[in-house]
Amino acid sequence: MVEVLRALRLYVLLQRASARGAMQYRLNTVIGILCGAVWQGTGFAFVWVVMTTFPSLAGWGLAEIAFLYGLRLTAHALAMIPMISVNDIQWVVREGEFDRFLLRPLNPLVQLMGNRMGIAQFGDLLVGVTLLAVAAQHAHVRWDVWLVAFCLAAIAGGALIEAAFFLALCSLALRMIDTFQLRVFVDDVFSKFGSYPMKIFGGVVEWVLTFALPVAFVAYVPASVVLGKLDSPWAPAAPVLGAGLIVLAYRIWRRQLDHYQSVGH
Amino acid sequence: MIRVDGLTKVFRRPRTFSGPLGTLRTLVTRQYEEKSAVAGVTFEVGEGEVIGYLGPNGAGKSTTIKILTGILTPTSGTVEVNGLVPWRDRSANARNVGVVFGQRSQLWWDLPLIESLRLVGSLYDVPAARFATSLKKLRDLLGLDDFLDTPVRQLSLGQRMRGDLAAAVLYEPPLLYLDEPTVGLDVLAKEAVREFIVETNRTGRTTVVLTTHDLADVEALCRRIILIDHGRVLFDGAIDALVDQPRRLVVLLESGPGQVRGVSRDADGRYVFDIHDDLPGLIASIAAEHTIRDLSIEEPDLESVIKGIYAR
Repeated sequence: MVEVLRALRLYVLLQRASARGAMQYRLNTVIGILCGAVWQGTGFAFVWVVMTTFPSLAGWGLAEIAFLYGLRLTAHALAMIPMISVNDIQWVVREGEFDRFLLRPLNPLVQLMGNRMGIAQFGDLLVGVTLLAVAAQHAHVRWDVWLVAFCLAAIAGGALIEAAFFLALCSLALRMIDTFQLRVFVDDVFSKFGSYPMKIFGGVVEWVLTFALPVAFVAYVPASVVLGKLDSPWAPAAPVLGAGLIVLAYRIWRRQLDHYQSVGH
Repeated sequence: MIRVDGLTKVFRRPRTFSGPLGTLRTLVTRQYEEKSAVAGVTFEVGEGEVIGYLGPNGAGKSTTIKILTGILTPTSGTVEVNGLVPWRDRSANARNVGVVFGQRSQLWWDLPLIESLRLVGSLYDVPAARFATSLKKLRDLLGLDDFLDTPVRQLSLGQRMRGDLAAAVLYEPPLLYLDEPTVGLDVLAKEAVREFIVETNRTGRTTVVLTTHDLADVEALCRRIILIDHGRVLFDGAIDALVDQPRRLVVLLESGPGQVRGVSRDADGRYVFDIHDDLPGLIASIAAEHTIRDLSIEEPDLESVIKGIYAR
């Protein structure tokens, strides 16, 4: 426990340092945040346009879809703000910078995570939280403490699911296997399919996105529970999946770390 | 301090094919190429020693250092550094060692040097008071004051290397690995680095393992060297013993079917004599029988001795 607190304190310290480094390129930071916000904003604007023509998609109204979209985006942002720097892993390994992390008395993953601040992802967070807040008031949900708590757990669980897939794929770079394209693809699947009601994709796709690649559990299943559209007994347990997957992903990471080969001079 | 026994590291990678469909065959092949970077290296380093770990490019120096620092896991053999197995107790080992890679900075590129040093202090849990005294000492010793507030990316190579040395000893590790710490430096900067190493070793009893291609570093710092090539130890011992050879007289004679007694001509047509005591006598005895065109005296030096060992 002491070790975890120490890692957390040092992570914050490293992130603050990388933020200070990034602030030397102030314009970059502003552009980064704006781009994130505009990119995600246009994504939802498109849904909005579609919904002015079709007021309901698979039985979901605009406010409900906005809620789902916001839930997914918030989870995504919270996963990526700490994880975006792990995305650099193949360059970090290739440049020999990863060696440095192994020379210091702190978990190398924590050091990698603290290496760079996810700037654009704050734009994602901004849009996600705004959508959630607005949609929550328009979506005819009777809010109580338990439902809010479930929502927070769902966001955390969703973030962990995305982070787990991301971490497992990134860890292969420790063995010089480049999964960058695969990561872009998986991220695309999470955002393209995870932000809308699964029903509109129908049959096989819905099954695959629920059980093979658990995209549905990031936002669709929890949102359905909140909006009273899903009444399966297992659905409220959706947030737990994230915790399980992240443990699994971390084990994969550790496994790959044992096979790390470094690079020549 | 360091005990290495039968250390071996084999790198294994899929065989690469060339020719038509070569890329595809490389992708699916189950044939592997194995290359041993280190093949059964054994040595010990005692507390307070400064040893030169030398070898040509690709000899296995960096691989050894990477195993000793815990970056790499060896294929076989045992290593104990200060009672720890480096790759198994990575964190604990990290606290005992300082590492400088001359080719690669350990500092934060975009931050002023002082902030890098503060971060290193935090990562190694150095208490504030100890950090302050340590920093003050290093500022004097390495002359850091001029560039303490400069972002690392704007430092000259010599300044950056001094910054890296400061970061490596800030937490006062008993053991220091220096991998080509003088590479690319000018004469003065090299001198500063050497002085710092001597000082650290003298005052802190710090053990130093040094790899370098600059034998002047070795002559200035090390009493003992370990020579490796093709992953094997070729020589391990005192430099003094290595260069303790007689001076040599090299003679070029006027052409002719001259045969000097006891000495044959080398490939360049020169005659080489070991000088034992009576140099004038030796020259006189040669001059009595032959016409000397040119002569020179060669001092035994580390470089030629080492070349000789590699050539064996």
